[in-house]
Amino acid sequence: MIFKQIINILIVAAPYGLIYGIMALGVFITFRILDFPDLTVDGSFPLGAAIMALFIVNGFNLYIALFISFLGGITAGIITASIHNYIKVPGLLAGIITMIMLYSINIRILGGSNLQILKRKTILTNIIDLFNKTNIPEELILIIFFIIIVIIIKLLLDLFFHTDLGLTLRAMGDNTQMVLNQGINPDILKLIGVGMSNGIVALSGAFFAQYQKFADTNLGQGIIITGLASVIIGEFIIRSNKIFLITLSVVLGATIIQTVEITGRMYGAYVFLKPTDLKLIKGFLLIVILGISIILKQRKKTNKKIRTGLTL
Amino acid sequence: MKKLLIIIFSLILIIPVFSAEKKNSKIKIGISKIVSHPALDSVEKGIKDELKEMGYNNIKYDLQNANGDINAAKMIAEKFKQDKVNVAVGIATPTAQALVGTITDIPIVFSAVTDPEGAGLVRNTQKGDANVTGVSDLTPVEQQIHMLKKIIDIKKLGIIYSSNEVNSITIAKLTKKACKMLKIKYIEATVVNSAEVKMAAESIIDRVDAIYISTDNTVVSAFSSVVDVATRRKIPIMSADPSSAAKIDVLAAYGFNYYKMGRVTGKVIAEILEGKKTIDMPTRYMTDQDSLDLLINLDVAKNLNIDIPKYIKDAATIIIENGKIINK
Repeated sequence: MIFKQIINILIVAAPYGLIYGIMALGVFITFRILDFPDLTVDGSFPLGAAIMALFIVNGFNLYIALFISFLGGITAGIITASIHNYIKVPGLLAGIITMIMLYSINIRILGGSNLQILKRKTILTNIIDLFNKTNIPEELILIIFFIIIVIIIKLLLDLFFHTDLGLTLRAMGDNTQMVLNQGINPDILKLIGVGMSNGIVALSGAFFAQYQKFADTNLGQGIIITGLASVIIGEFIIRSNKIFLITLSVVLGATIIQTVEITGRMYGAYVFLKPTDLKLIKGFLLIVILGISIILKQRKKTNKKIRTGLTL
Repeated sequence: MKKLLIIIFSLILIIPVFSAEKKNSKIKIGISKIVSHPALDSVEKGIKDELKEMGYNNIKYDLQNANGDINAAKMIAEKFKQDKVNVAVGIATPTAQALVGTITDIPIVFSAVTDPEGAGLVRNTQKGDANVTGVSDLTPVEQQIHMLKKIIDIKKLGIIYSSNEVNSITIAKLTKKACKMLKIKYIEATVVNSAEVKMAAESIIDRVDAIYISTDNTVVSAFSSVVDVATRRKIPIMSADPSSAAKIDVLAAYGFNYYKMGRVTGKVIAEILEGKKTIDMPTRYMTDQDSLDLLINLDVAKNLNIDIPKYIKDAATIIIENGKIINK
């Protein structure tokens, strides 16, 4: 009985975890690799959703639409990085500026504050139609589809971070001076990194709109917190400095957060929890995890003074 | 001396120009709505149509949309204050609250506000306030749940509402009360923004016989998600808003015609323009039976294997069958 309930929760939580996992991969690039606190995400997530919804409503080619959403996100990221690079605005503020500008742009794209795409053909309905005869439940088809998408994005990222450019990006977050000494312009690297990050976030937004069957300007509200929490929880579960494992941990982190959320929503009432308390619980969870990480880190330092720099 | 004379003369010349302009000047009405969705849009249209029909042809409307942003609603209120509009209209609770919080010397008419007292717009709905009156859209929750129980014998009812909208909380309380009276188990799920609606629906869908969606702006803007989840599990949805229900697959919708509520709001505005004091104008409720519409979607009923009793079909004002909308 309990087993059945757990499966049920996982089936509901998995699509959210995977879609938000894509977003978290984007957040991971800026926060962990570039060390650039980027809040553009709150705007680029609904941007991807808005572009996708607009094209769906107009019956445009869905895969080109997905690509345009991706490009839209990249543009948003490049704008943030440009504000930071050329007007010398701190990264945090640059992201906020782009984020608020995107609010207006998203309303322009949607032609209002929301757009409903129920009954429209989307990539997801196409996939479901494709496997309609196989008797696999729709939920499962979608979960498998999202797993494949996440794996593709993850593997492409893994590959990218093993190229010269990717390695330089990783180096820059740790030590800008080293990159400068190599004769590489860090400004260009930031353009590429922040652009790519927001492109991935917008892609996640595009899938989210199709999954939810609508796009809304407020979709991105506070989504950066979900992204960050995914990265932090992921790091807690899998401690590694191998990019393959780190990207995997980010997706796992996102899935765990969504599972907690769903569990809270479904069974919170039994322990007098309201859905509005979930944010408080998420906060506590993060505090505990961050606290434990720091304690573990200190213990490691005192035990083995020689080994340094590998964890976190 | 010469200069002073010139100034006095020019002032004498200017003053009549000003007063003449005041007489010919158009009536300015500022309408601020929280978000653009079919129900609120038809309130706006109802107001304009009613005033036009009453012979006000010289009204200049300033139509503003806050797009769901409470800060934007505040800015709109500031704008109306600066522009010195004759009447400021707030459609939906947050925009009306922003107007009342900002403007103290211009008559404010609220519309589509569920609980004017709870939202702090008026101290008492039996009377108006110094510069505030309006029309409440308190939906007849009890009748709606009763109607739903007549259509299908439900034992467990789910409701999804946003925990940061005052009117949604009021309706949730009324729903709970109505459920208790009708011996239905009440199950709720709350959301903070539209991104959570689908998840909220999924969290209760296995525990309910039907879902009731009221006049909640956040949930209505994500209505497709609820319909998607409910259709998959073959759970019927009852909505409180027939005007938007034709576009979205709900089994039944029972509630106000928001357009007619707009017309009533238009009448209230006209009374103020004619000089009536808001303090003498109690909050209006849409108690008129004629303004209640019942929409039944037979296509959805067929899909859910539900037989709609004949007397309900006869009572319905809008029936959707084979994709066609039949108005009675």
